[in-house]
Amino acid sequence: MNKELRRILIILTSICTLFVSLIVYMSYFQIFRAEAVKNNSYNKRLWIDEEKILRGSIIDRNGKILAYSEKSNDDIYKRFYNYGGLYSHIIGYSYREYGKVGLELEYNNILLNIDETTPFHELKSIVKPNTEGNTLKLTIDHHLQEYSRGLLGGKKGAIVAMDPKTAEVYAMVSFPDFNLSNLREEWNDIMEDEDKPFFNRATSGAYIPGSTFKVLTAMAILEDLDPNSQYECTGSVTIDGRTINDYEGRAHGKVNLEEALVKSCNSYFASKGVQVGKDRLGKLAGDFMINRQIPFDIPAAISTFPNKENLGKVDIAAASIGQGKVLMTPLNMALVVSGIANKGEVLQPTLVKEIISPEGEIIQNNEMEKISNGVSIFTANEIKNMMVEVVRRGTGTNAGIQNTRVAGKTGTAENPSGKSHAWFAGFAPADDPRIAVVVVLEEAGSTGGKAAAPIARNIMVEALNTLE
Amino acid sequence: MFKRRINYRVPRNLLVLFELLALVLVFVYYKDDFNRNILMLGAALIAMIYIASFVLLRISSGDNYIFLIVTMLISIGIIMIYRIDPELGIKQIIWTGVGILLFFITYFIVKNIDGWRNWILLYGGASIGLFLLTLLFGNRIKGSLNWIVLGRFSFQPTEIIKILLIFLLASYYANHERYKRVQNSNYYLVGVLYLFIGFLFIQRDLGTVLLFYSIFSAIQFIYEEDRKLILYNALFFLISGIIGYFTFSHVRVRFETWLNPWIYIDNKGYQITQSLFAIATGGFFGTGIGLGYPDFIPEVHTDFIFSAICEEMGIFTGIGLIMLFLILVYRGFKIALNQEDKFFKIVALGISVLFGIQSFIIFGGVLKMIPLTGITIPFVSYGGSSMLASFMALGILQVASEDLDLEGIGDE
Repeated sequence: MNKELRRILIILTSICTLFVSLIVYMSYFQIFRAEAVKNNSYNKRLWIDEEKILRGSIIDRNGKILAYSEKSNDDIYKRFYNYGGLYSHIIGYSYREYGKVGLELEYNNILLNIDETTPFHELKSIVKPNTEGNTLKLTIDHHLQEYSRGLLGGKKGAIVAMDPKTAEVYAMVSFPDFNLSNLREEWNDIMEDEDKPFFNRATSGAYIPGSTFKVLTAMAILEDLDPNSQYECTGSVTIDGRTINDYEGRAHGKVNLEEALVKSCNSYFASKGVQVGKDRLGKLAGDFMINRQIPFDIPAAISTFPNKENLGKVDIAAASIGQGKVLMTPLNMALVVSGIANKGEVLQPTLVKEIISPEGEIIQNNEMEKISNGVSIFTANEIKNMMVEVVRRGTGTNAGIQNTRVAGKTGTAENPSGKSHAWFAGFAPADDPRIAVVVVLEEAGSTGGKAAAPIARNIMVEALNTLE
Repeated sequence: MFKRRINYRVPRNLLVLFELLALVLVFVYYKDDFNRNILMLGAALIAMIYIASFVLLRISSGDNYIFLIVTMLISIGIIMIYRIDPELGIKQIIWTGVGILLFFITYFIVKNIDGWRNWILLYGGASIGLFLLTLLFGNRIKGSLNWIVLGRFSFQPTEIIKILLIFLLASYYANHERYKRVQNSNYYLVGVLYLFIGFLFIQRDLGTVLLFYSIFSAIQFIYEEDRKLILYNALFFLISGIIGYFTFSHVRVRFETWLNPWIYIDNKGYQITQSLFAIATGGFFGTGIGLGYPDFIPEVHTDFIFSAICEEMGIFTGIGLIMLFLILVYRGFKIALNQEDKFFKIVALGISVLFGIQSFIIFGGVLKMIPLTGITIPFVSYGGSSMLASFMALGILQVASEDLDLEGIGDE
């Protein structure tokens, strides 16, 4: 081969290589990158299609309209939110500039009545374009939601109220929240707010549970040890050279399991927890969805119990009383008390009750689903009775309702910020539970019994009086 | 002869079929303002292409595939342009007609005039003259000062200079023995190239800078005996590129929006991100003609036509377009290899590199594979200058594909 021919072929090969690399790059882009690029909120195509469709309304369990869309003067649909910040963490928002969060994101295709894109559906949408989306009927009770938010009184914290027998969420509040209607004006302020209004504390706030965790430890003790054996509480217990104190160093004297729970005795639970062991505690925690992803209609964080870590006795003792490395979300705590109320079975929590087609047909109904076996009905009943005693004569008396047996547990969680979180988790009526409530007040600086229990009580009273 | 005609008839008929189907789709999309004129123009386009390829088969003994490939490219282009803006589509059909005419005119002139290899000074002089004309009378359109407006018409002199550059290079290397006697003549040639590049840089036409440099380097790589010079040329280009990056903000912008356009999505990264949205939305099969939103992309009918094609016809059509250019380049090289006459051999190489690199620069640019520099896709993008110059180049390539008995004028 002569020099000229060889060089010509080199140039030809180089150009061919360039073209082939174009094809390879294009295919790579289409297979691996296109999906993410396409869904960028700056892609006007996403919106032009959506704004031609009447996005479905979102209504509460009684049919009250919470969010709806209406045609604006430039012939595209606009989204309206009726209750300011009340549903900021449940419904979320759908704005061209800021994208979507909450149910607006998770149920986007249903609200727009868009099917999965298959060639058949695309063909169908050309022939008969869909113009109206489905309506979401929530499990939320608007009155209870509004009432609960009012009870928080502007304090940072979260409330979850649900039906323990179906795990339908009646109310879910996270405060601070943000006004869905003024997002454009307030976006920057909200972004920069140190209290993080965007953060959903109810589903994703991982708090130290403090003494509320003792109901879990108690179930392990009940199943593994003798609940009636007497323990002498001196106001503190020393494990491996480290001292764990009772609240204000108070000595509770001779206590069994029930008395220890009623008085929220740290010494008892710390030493018994060590006896039960981290594996047993971890197993039980897992049975109540701790360390597991809770399936939910909006994203929820995973609660953690450190049983996979290499724990010393002191760590196990701390974990047994809900301190140390234990973190729980309010939603998860609501599942724990609902599980106890529901004969030990843990159900999947739900926010969406029904999906209703534009023609008014119910096209999907929320089915109750068990997600974990929890504990035996025997254990659940025993613990329930002890929790009733907590409210009747223990730390939770502020949650008591006249003529109704209320079960509950308080928690005052020490945390690195210095000011403790106040917890209350409980349900009522104990014999035929209809409402389960969890209240967390972030950095309340007060006890669960004083700060959180009264709020929970009022919610339970309101729920029992108003829910049909 | 008979067998040969059969061979060409099949692709020609397939092409007609493709055009019919695609035009029907476009007409369905614009069914509301459908009228007889549009139908006539559509029929005229098909007839024009069909007759031209038929005539070409009769008069030229050379390669008949390149014209077919080009008509396929034009068909895809016109369909897309018409779908984006019917008015521009009609204009493009007219430009195609004029282009085909110019193709035949160029073919006859280049074939019947002798002595192309000897007019090196004319090519150089004409190029510099056109550049100066652009500088003096040029209008800045879309950031590039490379248009001359004459009454109702505007044209880009650089389109012509591309061909002059190829002729210049071909006449230099075809008469290499003669010019070698002039000391350092090859350095003068590099000097001329950088003079051109300098002019283009003033016009801010970075895509064409890259194109000129590629054509020059390819020919130089094949024919330059002083291999050191090739290295110097590459180094010099690299260094001036780096200096350009730090001195000129419009060079820097190209790189920044290439590395990460998403952070500039509201301003300087807008075009390229809109292009990526379109390509991503199209998927493999596209949304279908008339069902996408290519008009979200600025300049979609010229530089970004490829993104529009990918959105509505899918990246399979996009890949098809790339393949068509690949075959066109391959045919061009084959023509060069079979050509005995050295001048036309080099011209064929130059034109093939021109088609190949020009399309690569803009394909890669809108895909964000390489920095984006505005340049048209030959035969596909909307635009008269680009269409006419491309057809002229094609006409010349057609001449080069024939057995020429121009030997013996005393170059070797």
